[in-house]
Amino acid sequence: MTFLVWRQYRLQWAIALALLAAFAAVELVNGFQVAREWHSLLSACAAAPASQAGPGGSCLNQNIIGLVGNDLRILSVLVPPVLGMLWGAPLIAHELETGTAGFVLTQGVTRTRWLATRVGILLLTAALWAGAISALVTWWSGPENAQRADAFQANYFDTQGITPIGYAVFAMALGIAAGVLLRRTIPAIAVTLGGFIGFRLFFDDFARQHLMPAVTTVTSMTSMWSPRGISWVLNSGMLNASGQPMNVNGFGSYMIDGVPVNELPAACQAHAASGNPSAPISTGSGNPSAVISCLGKAGFRQFTTYQPGSRYWAFQGIETGIYVLVAAALLAVAWYVIRHRDA
Amino acid sequence: MAPRALAIETSGLTKRFRRVAALNDCSVTVPEGKIAALIGPNGAGKTTLLRMLCGLSEPTAGTASVLGATPRQDPKFLAQVGFLAQEMPLYRRMSAGDLIKVGAHLNSRWDASLVRTRLGELDIPLDRAVGKLSGGQRSQVALSLVLAKRPRLLLLDEPVAALDPLARRHFLATITWAVAESEGSLTVVLSSHLLADIERICDHLILLAASQVQLCGDTRDLLAEHEKLTGPRAQDVSLEEMVLGYMDASAPSAYRDLKTVGEQ
Repeated sequence: MTFLVWRQYRLQWAIALALLAAFAAVELVNGFQVAREWHSLLSACAAAPASQAGPGGSCLNQNIIGLVGNDLRILSVLVPPVLGMLWGAPLIAHELETGTAGFVLTQGVTRTRWLATRVGILLLTAALWAGAISALVTWWSGPENAQRADAFQANYFDTQGITPIGYAVFAMALGIAAGVLLRRTIPAIAVTLGGFIGFRLFFDDFARQHLMPAVTTVTSMTSMWSPRGISWVLNSGMLNASGQPMNVNGFGSYMIDGVPVNELPAACQAHAASGNPSAPISTGSGNPSAVISCLGKAGFRQFTTYQPGSRYWAFQGIETGIYVLVAAALLAVAWYVIRHRDA
Repeated sequence: MAPRALAIETSGLTKRFRRVAALNDCSVTVPEGKIAALIGPNGAGKTTLLRMLCGLSEPTAGTASVLGATPRQDPKFLAQVGFLAQEMPLYRRMSAGDLIKVGAHLNSRWDASLVRTRLGELDIPLDRAVGKLSGGQRSQVALSLVLAKRPRLLLLDEPVAALDPLARRHFLATITWAVAESEGSLTVVLSSHLLADIERICDHLILLAASQVQLCGDTRDLLAEHEKLTGPRAQDVSLEEMVLGYMDASAPSAYRDLKTVGEQ
């Protein structure tokens, strides 16, 4: 079986290798350029005060991001679904469609060996390919991660580290299972694309933030505290005297930290704008720092709910693990169906 | 002649797809060493029967015994059975030489030199993609690959349907050659619509119509019996006449009164 898979896929593997080489060439050339600029920026800012030279500081906040490399980073989101559609979906479906499954299965090969060899080799190839792309993107993003500290954010988290490997394994398994169940390549490709996008949207928007219980830190109204490094801030705002979060999605032209002034205690509203409660603070008629210190005296505090940056690799591991487990379940379904349904 | 062992024996073999029976209560036997013809109108269940005999498909009910074993996806069973599907599925971008190597990796018993010799004799290139060969050449590649397993049973699903008369003759000649070469240890079941071919090479007949077995037995015995039933004629009853008689009887009644031009 290994020989057959090798003979059948060697051309596609050669093409995949050439594409990977092209990707690597662009990302490396551009990445070294970005790294050089970042290092000269670092040495230029070495003398600047700590508040400006730290991550996100004004001295370091210069545009060093290479356009081409960044485009490739964004495009690399497509790697897993494309692998699932081009390698996963046809892996069994195309064999059933053309009848070559019947040819192989009437040689001396069991269905389990047939499926296991094909799936095993292609799954490994896809994981390696996606892993290589991700390694390049992760390396390229080094300066950007240091400068902007946003590797934990959506659209960064999913193109770096090991998550792309989990996505690729999942996309492959989804394509394989869809192909086994539908027995036709084109519908299997469609299901792979739809299923992959649907699952990722669900996971990104609803599941990832709950992988570990978030941390909430409460500080005084005058504190400038914010979580360190690449921490992922989920929510932040004001707590009133009884510890209830204030409505930060209020609507009005006159707001303190997103809260409409008329929802604040009456005593503090007076500081907001002497004589003109509807005038925006920016017009200068009010005194925001007076409002804030008034709120502090009234027992108001600030809160920040976040996933600490130190959890980055734990999140990478948990998310990848979940995608691999879902892939294993899909492959188990494929194996059951192949064994129990007519070939 | 001493009674021969049975290569195939099925009993009440039934296959339903959802509610529709593709094959119903099929009980047939094929003695070893025979070339058996499997005939019947389109949709009679010929392909269904062959696929169940080689283990690609599971019967809904009934049993099949093929070379003394139950057909299943097991290397030991599969080593003895060669199956050629109707569309002759091969990896079309691979050459015959590649496919010979593939077969060697997939089978415990594999006679690569048999394929090479045969394809060499037929002037079929080993290094050209089989998708680029002619239909006749491709069918010879497919048949040679099946023969390379040195099977004891060959199941061929309408192998000559798409071939021109000359390619058909070559193909059938290969089958009779293989049977003669095996000295009675190779059994062949071949489905076909071409009654003239069947009359020439087959000595056993299975007639399916409307998902059921209408006839099964030695061709000469069946003809003799049919002659007895229909009464003596001026000349021998032909195979075609007998087969059409049975097919007609199980066709929808609306067709029965229709006669093609020239029939009385």
